[in-house]
Amino acid sequence: MLTVKHLAKSYDGEKKSLTDVSFSVRPGEVTVIIGPSGAGKTTILRSINQLIRDDDGEILFDSTDMRQLNRSQLRRARTRIGMIFQNYNLIEPLTAIENVLHGCLGTKSNLAGMFSIYSADEKQEALKLLEKVGLRDFAYQQCRNLSGGQEQRVGIARALMQHPKIILCDEPIASLDPKSTITVMDILRNLATAEGISVLINLHQVDIARHYADHVIGINNGQVVFDDATSALTDVAVTNIYRKDANQEGSLMYEL
Amino acid sequence: MNSDIQQVTTFFNKKRFRLTVLILILGMAYVGASFGLGFQTQSLLGVQDGMIWLLKNFVPNATSNGYWSEILQQLYRTFLVAVTSTTCAAVVSLFLAILGAKTLTVSKALSWLIRGFSSLMRNIPIVAWAMILLFSFKQNDLTGFLALFFMTLGFLTRAFMETIEDFGTEKIQALQATGATYLQVIFQGLLPEVAVALLTWVLYMIENNVRDATLVGLLTGTGIGFIFNLYFKSLRYGAAGLVVLSVIILVVTVELISNLVGRLLA
Amino acid sequence: MIKPDNPVTLPTQAPTGPHFSIPLRFRDRRRVTILLTLMVLSVITLSTLPLMMPTDFKLSEAVVSFLENIKIMFLQPSLTNTSFMSLLIALGQSILLAFLTTLIGSVIAFFFALASTRRLAPTALILGIQSFMAVIRAIPTVLWVLIYSVVFGLGANAAVIGITFHSVAYLTKVYADSMDELSPDIIDTMQAMGLKKGAIIRQAVIPYLIPSYLSWTFIRFEINFADAIAVGAAAGAGGIGYQLFMSSSFYFNFHEVGVMVYLIMAFAIVLEVISYRLRMMTNSH
Repeated sequence: MLTVKHLAKSYDGEKKSLTDVSFSVRPGEVTVIIGPSGAGKTTILRSINQLIRDDDGEILFDSTDMRQLNRSQLRRARTRIGMIFQNYNLIEPLTAIENVLHGCLGTKSNLAGMFSIYSADEKQEALKLLEKVGLRDFAYQQCRNLSGGQEQRVGIARALMQHPKIILCDEPIASLDPKSTITVMDILRNLATAEGISVLINLHQVDIARHYADHVIGINNGQVVFDDATSALTDVAVTNIYRKDANQEGSLMYEL
Repeated sequence: MNSDIQQVTTFFNKKRFRLTVLILILGMAYVGASFGLGFQTQSLLGVQDGMIWLLKNFVPNATSNGYWSEILQQLYRTFLVAVTSTTCAAVVSLFLAILGAKTLTVSKALSWLIRGFSSLMRNIPIVAWAMILLFSFKQNDLTGFLALFFMTLGFLTRAFMETIEDFGTEKIQALQATGATYLQVIFQGLLPEVAVALLTWVLYMIENNVRDATLVGLLTGTGIGFIFNLYFKSLRYGAAGLVVLSVIILVVTVELISNLVGRLLA
Repeated sequence: MIKPDNPVTLPTQAPTGPHFSIPLRFRDRRRVTILLTLMVLSVITLSTLPLMMPTDFKLSEAVVSFLENIKIMFLQPSLTNTSFMSLLIALGQSILLAFLTTLIGSVIAFFFALASTRRLAPTALILGIQSFMAVIRAIPTVLWVLIYSVVFGLGANAAVIGITFHSVAYLTKVYADSMDELSPDIIDTMQAMGLKKGAIIRQAVIPYLIPSYLSWTFIRFEINFADAIAVGAAAGAGGIGYQLFMSSSFYFNFHEVGVMVYLIMAFAIVLEVISYRLRMMTNSH
């Protein structure tokens, strides 16, 4: 499904943010990336759909290398990669249903995008997705009036509207309360199990990762230090993932 | 489910309908306003003619080159008038703004009086200022200076007042709690904190006044505005073009300096 | 009301912590800049002020006559050469002029602003548009109107185009600035879904932009009203500005000037109240 090989990135040209990161994501599995702040988790996720241009490596999505695509090819490839964010990134002045429908605009013409032209099937699907995330009654609410947990569920419905093969989740629960966290994680877990979508999640919370993940990737200082089934994630392994390096002390202190 | 889809369709149709109505109203207002003024839309297609005219006359030639010294001299005077009027207005405005700001004022009545005064100053059109002053002070730089001064006074008093009010009451109360006097609060607490914001306003006003000084000069027969009018009315377009060029250089330079200072302050 | 092109923001307090050297240097640079700027301004002002006074000038006489005229204006407004109705019509013309130029200006400026937004346009285009607009902004509105009166003849066409020019340049800058202030995440998110540029602009940029678009356009309308009066007076382009010019410099009738100033002020204060309300509304969101 998705294979990342020898990914490398540095922002200032000197200090490496990622060095030689390789892993793969299988269909129908929840894969969780854990690691200390500043380890490079967000960089990895954003490199996959090339929101961040990496320096070196290979990103094979459906056996095409995302790094070799030109602008319009990349745009087309992105329509099949869903993404949800820590801050939800919905268009807040618009209603929930409009935000969900944005998910299908990538495959439609510019004209349809500019005049909000959607087919009956698309409208029906958007409503079904809102129902699925439990927000059917909020379809015509402006997103700025929704709670954080509700916004994130609209974000998931929007991603599903893309008919994604994979969903990238960048700290999806970092701004949520415990109850919403469970709702959102349950939905994501169910997507993988019931619909065979690959789900790749950046997380801070190890206990959540243990509970929901099939596979865990541990990142420390821009390198993969753990890559195994969730059952292999022992306390020793966790300590190793979150270990302090001498040159990293600053960032870790910040997290503690 | 079909009625649900219908509901979504209705939702988008309503949005589109509102937008269409808005555009229609604006379109009708445009036609109405054009008709009322006698503006012909096709003249928008003639926009390039003015640019071409300007470009042609920008190029200094042998005759227009002879005007440089006069133009530069008037340009310099205009610049001085713009800066001086802004600075003087700023000093008075600061005083008024401190007395008038809701967070600092000694009495509510005084605050409203100053607000009213600043609104009056700001909303009397600069043309009226220029013409009344011209009648009494005659054709000289002082007239232009005073017209700009009154106008700027109105603007800066309000701007300063808003800046000081944004500073908030809590910090002022915190200072008063330490036993600081009114003047100590202002000089030790308030001014150092808002200095950058106030200075940004002053710089902005200088930029603006360089442009307005041209207008005032045109009306009162002084400075760069006057000689533009003179050349223009006597059909010496080459010289008039040079004046425009020199104004562009002056305004852009002032803008660049003000941006530079702004960046150093940030 | 006029706002600075770069909105004023108060600097955040430098953090206090173990690294004293950086904040201290930072504050020093700011203080030196403030002091230097104030010094330059004072020197210019103090050296210019004495030269401002013309020779053979009786200041007290001028001040007395000025105050006398102010008194006539504000306390004894009346009309002799013109009727109140024709003044209202003239005011209406100035308002129409301001409205029309704001409308045309805002539509044109919107497209220029899109073409000069950092996240949507190539750098060369942005630089080109920005410097072109800076040059247009540098020329005072009155000069634009006079320049266009050579091409179209003095009248509505020259006035509309002249004021529109300045409006486009001003609005392009402020619209583009508010687009640049939009969180980059918004556009990133839409690009991550593979949306095309037209869809991103319509579905993400515009909904966020409407409040600031409205308030900037309204501010420009206030400026254009003032410009419409100035242009009427200085370029003879009609409206209440022209009437004002005639009464004060041709008939020397300050009673009449008083009526006109009251009319103009009444409308300007209405605008100010509306703009205040508008700002309260957008702030509450």
